[in-house]
Amino acid sequence: MSSLDADVRPYPEEQGVGRPRHLSERAIKGLFIWPTLILLIVINFFPLFYSLYLSFTDYSAIANEAPVWVAFENFSRILSSETMWEFFITTGQYVFFSVLLQLILGFALAMLVRHKFMGSGLVTTLILVPMMLAPVVVGLFWKLMYNPSFGYFNYLIGFDNPVGAPDWLASRFGGEVVPGLALWAVIIVDVWMWTPFVMLLILSGLKAIPEYLYEAAAIDRASSWFQFWRITVPQVAPLVMIAVLFRTIEAFNKSFDLVMGMTGGGPGDQTEVIAVHLYRVAFQGQWRTGFASALAYIVLVIVIAISNLYIRNLNRMRREG
Amino acid sequence: MLKRMMWPLLLILLVALVACGGQTAEEILEEETDVVEEDDAVDTAEEAEEEAQEVAEEEAEEVAAACPGDVDELTILWAQWDPADYLQQIGNMYEQETGVAVEVVQEPWGSFGDLFFTEMAAQGTSYDMVVGDSQWLGQSVTQGHYLDLTEFMVEGELAETVTPATLTYYAEYPTGSEQYWAFPTEGDANGWAYRADLFEDPDEQAAFEEEYGYPLAPPETWEQLVDMAHFFTRPDEGLWGAAIYTQADYDAITMGFQNTLFSYGADWASPDNDPRGVINSEDAVNALETYRELYECCQPPGMSNAFFSEVNDAFISGQAAMAMNYFAFFPALINPDINPYAETTGFFVNPEGPTGAQHAALGGQGMSVISYISPERQEASLCFIDWFAQPEIQTEWAALGGFTTNQEVLESEFFLNQTPFNPAFAETMTIVKDFWNIPVFGELLVISQRELGEYIVEGQGTAEEALNAIAEEHYQILQDADMIEE
Amino acid sequence: MASFEETGPRHPVTESARVDQVHPRARFFHNLRALIVIALAIVGLIPVFAMGLTAFKSRAEVVSIPPSVVFDPTLEGVVFLLTERAQLSPANAERLREVEDQLALFDRIALSAGQQITGPSDFAERLINSIIIAGGSTIASVTLGLFAAYAFSRFDVPGEDDLLFFILSTRMLPAVVVAVPLFLMYRQLGLFDTHFGMILLYTVFNLSLTVWLLKGFIDEIPREYEEAAMVDGYSRLQAFYKIVLPQAVTGIAATTVFSFIFAWNEFAFALMLTSQEARTAPPTIATMLGRGGIEWSAIAAGTLAFLIPVIIITFALRRHLLRGVTFGAIRQ
Repeated sequence: MSSLDADVRPYPEEQGVGRPRHLSERAIKGLFIWPTLILLIVINFFPLFYSLYLSFTDYSAIANEAPVWVAFENFSRILSSETMWEFFITTGQYVFFSVLLQLILGFALAMLVRHKFMGSGLVTTLILVPMMLAPVVVGLFWKLMYNPSFGYFNYLIGFDNPVGAPDWLASRFGGEVVPGLALWAVIIVDVWMWTPFVMLLILSGLKAIPEYLYEAAAIDRASSWFQFWRITVPQVAPLVMIAVLFRTIEAFNKSFDLVMGMTGGGPGDQTEVIAVHLYRVAFQGQWRTGFASALAYIVLVIVIAISNLYIRNLNRMRREG
Repeated sequence: MLKRMMWPLLLILLVALVACGGQTAEEILEEETDVVEEDDAVDTAEEAEEEAQEVAEEEAEEVAAACPGDVDELTILWAQWDPADYLQQIGNMYEQETGVAVEVVQEPWGSFGDLFFTEMAAQGTSYDMVVGDSQWLGQSVTQGHYLDLTEFMVEGELAETVTPATLTYYAEYPTGSEQYWAFPTEGDANGWAYRADLFEDPDEQAAFEEEYGYPLAPPETWEQLVDMAHFFTRPDEGLWGAAIYTQADYDAITMGFQNTLFSYGADWASPDNDPRGVINSEDAVNALETYRELYECCQPPGMSNAFFSEVNDAFISGQAAMAMNYFAFFPALINPDINPYAETTGFFVNPEGPTGAQHAALGGQGMSVISYISPERQEASLCFIDWFAQPEIQTEWAALGGFTTNQEVLESEFFLNQTPFNPAFAETMTIVKDFWNIPVFGELLVISQRELGEYIVEGQGTAEEALNAIAEEHYQILQDADMIEE
Repeated sequence: MASFEETGPRHPVTESARVDQVHPRARFFHNLRALIVIALAIVGLIPVFAMGLTAFKSRAEVVSIPPSVVFDPTLEGVVFLLTERAQLSPANAERLREVEDQLALFDRIALSAGQQITGPSDFAERLINSIIIAGGSTIASVTLGLFAAYAFSRFDVPGEDDLLFFILSTRMLPAVVVAVPLFLMYRQLGLFDTHFGMILLYTVFNLSLTVWLLKGFIDEIPREYEEAAMVDGYSRLQAFYKIVLPQAVTGIAATTVFSFIFAWNEFAFALMLTSQEARTAPPTIATMLGRGGIEWSAIAAGTLAFLIPVIIITFALRRHLLRGVTFGAIRQ
């Protein structure tokens, strides 16, 4: 610590002879990065590799039996199962639409609150409230909200008679089956909850754009449209990418709380996203730890592939910037 | 910022202070009891009763006296719900009598099983006893988590105090082996609540009789139940016939369907575990079609993912003329503070099917002793169960709101008159029937949940297709688990 | 974004200086925009209002048809949230009703539900656990993340992209699956059901977010500032402390808010890796089962009470969250 203390002094002359003037850049680099890496490695190493190993075995975490090596059996069973593919497609739809809507709405909101107005601080804080709620309670509560008889949602959008109103979570509208309604109900909640996250990230990107860029553009009489596409978008693009990246990862892995609370995957399998199915396989009386690990690794590969696409774009944008 | 974070805590403290301004109910009750006891001194009849109670307590102390003295606290794991609170009160009584503290650890339902099985996989000793689901028996017994209670139950004459059906489903594994692993603690099963104000309305009765040709009364057969559900389904009045289980999560829709399945004389598999031709038999198909008909015609809206809480909500909101639920959740329906129709809510036993068979899907749990704790602690745990199983304590258990399985108590005047649903409960305890309790029950359950959900709620395919799929997939799983001989 | 350094002098520019904003039409749009934002905020808050209403509804009121907005409020939810209760026997309830006016407020409310308060619930304890765990892990993950992000942003780290990707990938594996090995590991290490274990876990869980976000923010700060400062005799650490930190405040504030929210609301790990000692509030609130079903009012009251600290933190940091980075404002 003494060398760190020494460094805070503004005048290097005061330091004793023979001691290094500063921590070397190399030392600082190491000091800054290693604690994080060590922590991540220590906590993640075992779970990551242990579950990788388990994915090649037949194993139940609650059985007093050693894992049995089955090579690729778990993987081939998952990939050859038609229902699994359906779950992946459902998850894809869920992730795509909720992230897309969050991006559009989040961007629009950020543009709107970008410039201060009276009470904008308070209003912005209030806009953030949905993402501050515990997802598990949100799921539970929206189930109540969506109830056609005693939930507020239908009444607010103009259906004041439970008969003939949409029964969102049952995928029915006035008694008729409307496939996909339940999935959209879940997407609406996800968008409601996480648009503020995307907004806040984009907003902080917007705030970082130097005003003189716009000033210069205004002097050149550039149109607002031109300003938006040539200044705003490229400048916030990296933060947009990070926002989308994190929302995608979260939507894959953490949709569990919301979906389980609202539909439990139903009606039928209509909202059975992978995160919910994983939970069902890994816990809930099944405890097929090996199989669940294999499924989790497939999810991991997909998420890594998508993230790589994003990150490649992100890096390209950074270089261009 | 930290200071600001303390505000909510201060607020809570403040509220608590305001709330405590005045006497607590406990204080008042204690005072009152003193007064009442003085009055009692004059009343000889009550004195005699008190004496009888004292004798019982002394007996209880004798039981306790035979217990090892080194263990002064016991821990029981159960789910987080009202009956666990009642068990805690029973535990407090035990502490008063014997000095051995009993703590009931309550874990939310959603993670109760996960916590228990992970703890057991690590051969953990955090809990001495568990009040575990009947379905866990196979898993826990084959893995060696539970202490064998056969000798204790049979020689201690505990086995004969509970109804035979509950002994079979809460305690015995493998089924028919007469080996016992638990003491049936919280008996529970599905029954029905109904709106007596509707059923006893003379106009309704006349209209019903005219339409269906027999009088309107709590249904005795499934056919009648379906008729009545149709009769009371009036969306324009905001009323639907019957609220039933449909939840995809864990086991709800399977439990609900079992009420028809078993009563139609069908079952999950033959005695030698072969599901083919059994779960997809004609009776089973009829049973499933009946359940689906109830959902299609008569389920209140917004009930596509419904379990006990949603069913009660539908009933309380006045949307359901009849409601299927576990007896454990009926106390809410006779509480006027919760249910506006409490005064006119009646209860009936799950009706019989076309062949005269009558069964109710089983819930509830038995109390088991963990095998990994020390012999002294096992001994102390058995002592507690022995004490708990006494008729007096079982009466106390029932009085608190616990659901006893003790035959004597179930048949007693006291019990039958205690609540409006107790007579139905007592009858139900003789006809309960359960799902698989073998180690692979979880995998079997996922299949039935999925197929039933797709057919009943989503409306995909036919009953026959759904049951054929279940039969096929269950067969695979059972065969893989070596449960079926080739 | 450093490429704009050469384009000209950097003066703090106030909004009114912008040609396009002094125009009356621009002012009109400015007001219109404010109105739209407020309207959207209100729409977004409707479900929260609904929850607020539910917190003061009786069980029957929650399921009244149509859902009520005006009703007789009750504190049942708050009482159920904060106390443990036992069912009163009809005789005792009768006795208590006679002396109802002597009873404390909470006892009276419990009595109206036919219950007797037997003690405080563990909600307060769990709330304190939440504050310790979410607070501790937020401080740890933001601090560590800030250092790492700075290093990644400013130094030439070998294999930087791969390391960053490794950091991110720790978030990609679904929690339900990591939970099982983590559970086994925590048991072995004695971290199961400890505050330290949970702080450690949430710190690691949030590091990916903090490193990535803060790197994004620090990347935006031109390195020329530090370089100029170091030419003036500042050490690297001083430059980091005096130049970069003040510039990165927006990013740090946003990252703090996100980390705190994630740790504060986390449910799955908390359920799996804690039991009595270190359990946080979300698993407690979400699983409150009352009399014959979900106790909606208590869950709503708990959720809203649980929301207050987050709102306070966010509101306290709002100026930083919303502050624009005014380049050229550094006077050195």
